[in-house]
Amino acid sequence: MSDEVDISVMIGGPQGGGIESSGQMLVRTFMIKGYDVFGIREYHSNIMGAHSYYNVRFKKNRPRSVKLPVDGLIALDAETIFTHYNEVSPKSFVVYDIDILNTPMERISPMEPEVKERVGDELKKLGVEPIASEVIKYLSNNGIKTVGLPLKNLLKTTAEKLKTNVVSVAKTVNTMSITASAALLGIDVETIEKSINYYFYGKKSVIDSNVMAAKVAYDYVKENFGIGNPIEDGPNKNKSRMVATGNDIVAMGKLAGGLTLETYYPITPSQDEAFYLGEHRYFKLDEWASKELGVEKLGVLVFQAEDELGALNMAIGGALAGARTATTTSGPGLSLMNEAISFSVMAEVPVVITVWMRAGPSTGEATRQGQQDLLHSVFAGHGDTPKIVIASGDHIEAYYDAMKSLNWAEKYQTPVIHLVDKYIASSMMSFDREDVDPQLVPIDRGKYITETKNEDYKRYELTDDYISPRSPLGKRLMWVSSLTHNEYGMVTEDPITREKMLLKIAKKIENAGKEIPLSEKVSLYGDQDAKITIVSWGSAKGPILDAMDLLRKDGIKTRFLHIRMMSPFPSEYVTNILNSSELVVDVEANALSQLAMLVKMNTGYDIKKKIIKLTGRTIMEHEAYNALKMVIQNNQDLVVIRDGA
Amino acid sequence: MARNWSDYKTNSWVQWCPACGNFGILLAMQKALAELDLPPEKTSIVSGIGCSSRIPYYVKTSNIHTLHGRPIPVAEGIKLANPEQTVIVASGDGDLLGIGAGHFVALGRRNMQIAILLHDNAVYGLTKGQAAPTLPLWLKTKALDAPNIQSQINPLLLAFASGYTFIARAYAYHVDQLKDLIKLAINHKGTALIDILQPCPTYNDIMSKEWYEKRIYYLTSADPSWDPNISSQEDFDMKAPKILDKMTEWGEKIPLGIFYRNISIEPLETRIEKILPGYLQYPPAKRPIDIKSKPIVHPFTEFKDRIVQT
Repeated sequence: MSDEVDISVMIGGPQGGGIESSGQMLVRTFMIKGYDVFGIREYHSNIMGAHSYYNVRFKKNRPRSVKLPVDGLIALDAETIFTHYNEVSPKSFVVYDIDILNTPMERISPMEPEVKERVGDELKKLGVEPIASEVIKYLSNNGIKTVGLPLKNLLKTTAEKLKTNVVSVAKTVNTMSITASAALLGIDVETIEKSINYYFYGKKSVIDSNVMAAKVAYDYVKENFGIGNPIEDGPNKNKSRMVATGNDIVAMGKLAGGLTLETYYPITPSQDEAFYLGEHRYFKLDEWASKELGVEKLGVLVFQAEDELGALNMAIGGALAGARTATTTSGPGLSLMNEAISFSVMAEVPVVITVWMRAGPSTGEATRQGQQDLLHSVFAGHGDTPKIVIASGDHIEAYYDAMKSLNWAEKYQTPVIHLVDKYIASSMMSFDREDVDPQLVPIDRGKYITETKNEDYKRYELTDDYISPRSPLGKRLMWVSSLTHNEYGMVTEDPITREKMLLKIAKKIENAGKEIPLSEKVSLYGDQDAKITIVSWGSAKGPILDAMDLLRKDGIKTRFLHIRMMSPFPSEYVTNILNSSELVVDVEANALSQLAMLVKMNTGYDIKKKIIKLTGRTIMEHEAYNALKMVIQNNQDLVVIRDGA
Repeated sequence: MARNWSDYKTNSWVQWCPACGNFGILLAMQKALAELDLPPEKTSIVSGIGCSSRIPYYVKTSNIHTLHGRPIPVAEGIKLANPEQTVIVASGDGDLLGIGAGHFVALGRRNMQIAILLHDNAVYGLTKGQAAPTLPLWLKTKALDAPNIQSQINPLLLAFASGYTFIARAYAYHVDQLKDLIKLAINHKGTALIDILQPCPTYNDIMSKEWYEKRIYYLTSADPSWDPNISSQEDFDMKAPKILDKMTEWGEKIPLGIFYRNISIEPLETRIEKILPGYLQYPPAKRPIDIKSKPIVHPFTEFKDRIVQT
């Protein structure tokens, strides 16, 4: 291994065939070894059988994206061989089950005809017959270490050693494949055992059979192929760390941020956030808080609505009663929520809408990546509907933005759309306790009335800062209206009152733009005085930052304007950065370059150079790097990137 | 001192057409609130969009005028967050059974303590008289350009099938009887529906005051032994056929009164308490979320399942 450990391993197989747990175990294995990990899952909208894979990368300092080619491929089925044979590096290894060798590509039913045709054409050009054994032979001829495991026999050995039958250990085949790859990477069997213990925490018989399977596989690889040179420990040994998906970490942020009611309607890729929050609905308080409040546990209510119309309107009702509420959804759900977003703007109801973007338009691809709901979010709702829209770039930002969104919603009495996406939702990242310190975001409920009092109360009182003292239902006599209303919330069509109330809403959001610190709205990474500026948003952040490191090695200095607050837009700052650049290139995963449109609308600056990705797959480090080079060196106006199976 | 019905009046001009059925419903509601002596700030009337949905502005309680079709989920959100708030939904048949029908059905599955007052005039009044979901097939009211080619929903049966546990029908001009039903509906520990037949003198020239008054009768006056009360599955099996029989009666004779009242189904708040201990003591609207602005939970304290010891 070189000094700079940067290893990517891909594991592919049929959906429902243990890909999820394999990926999770692999990630834990690398973490236990002391490394930082980043892993992303690509999968079909399907429960059983369709092709799914994890790309897991580990480094000494936190990887922010994945890349191709990978250093190791674990094929749990033949489809993985055909789909990914051209994504492995010349020095890599491929682990497979010898039983797949005779599989011809045409016999793989879940493999889509378009993919078969394309792969078939490629193989034909290479002179390789479309049979798994031939593709593996081709890889081997090209210097790739091909490691065939006789999984049936290894299962038999495992069963014998455990004095049980093969059926009861059948599920350990994935563990065997992972162990084989870990062994090839020079990771000891003890680390793998620990990982199994963490992943199957508490399930003793499952742990026992998997640990035995790992030992059997490890010994087999050692004897027949030889294990890799022992890999040194990473810098993060002997620590209590965490690994979580974006879905998980947003649930954590919401809980830390004081959420008390989350409503939702099931939609991919948002549902896992609600699921995870639901699992932790009855949660343990920090010790100091528990002492002070005299309770050990408190609850957050996660409630499934009949549709997204119901979900957001319920969240609105809950907020009116005084709960800290949020709902979670994806693009199609956001479409249904539009009218209630407009209602919450008009009635000044604090509510957070977490939008996990996926590949659209329409139903599109539910489990795939897209950054296509930016303009939809900014303009969501009929009528003038100013609101706060914040887009997170990675897990840690998503955690803090989830907390801040709850604050902003209450402080400015407005809907807040928190934009995240599939890439963040289903990627896993390692982090430490101090990376998610809730005390960095104190709870702020704004002008919230907590005492009951019998007084003349105007829910929509006109004030100097355009924000009215807000009482929950139950504490004041009040009216709340989706119609044009006066200060009491009573319906009116008086033209002057209408103007005042609409300006009240517009001005308070404008003030939010002035009050929220610039650092929470936009970041400028890289060489601050570089003349080349990359503009992007959301999860494209990771691959861009990683690509910038590569560009720097080539002697190309760049800076990166990562815009997070989409409304109110940080126009002045963005204008200054763009006007002081010689070359500006916009990167995003949508067809319209929506951020470039928003930038033009807010600043007048027309970004001419664009990089887009529309395949529904994640933007990766290497393609961001290559595309940026094509723009910077070849002066290309539009680069469409499309890597990843 | 107990409150009087006029204590629930606001100063707003009531903008319905002369002789609109909504006047009777408004008065019955104010009287019911007064007789129950409900604190105005702890009572919420939630409405949708339409003529009847203006009612929140005419009653002095803490009310919400929502979107077309959405009063039910807003009401549910209030109740989920604060089960102590008295929540009444008042909306039209187009709102609750047309655009909002999905919510109407879903509410029944939850049996939350919410009283639904269905202002049922069979037309969309505020858009000038289109056919609403309760307008019978082939009726041609004067606003329609052709007879109605869509048949009517039976709100009572829909509520029954959805799981409502209190189902009644009333007539808007019988204020005292309606007032009594509203009181019972509010106090019912579950989801209650009152289908309130309401003439629209402006747009529904067929189902007029005269039309209704020729047809309506009270279940208990026609049959003194009428018993809609159910307290067990056995009770239900015995009484359901007769209840369904009366719910389907429509035409020459239209029955009024309580059709069904089941006290054996637990309300949602009891169910939530079972999966979320402490919910009733600390419902979402009343739960501490911080101590002097400091968040009270760190991810590493609660989310142990994501911790990896390296």
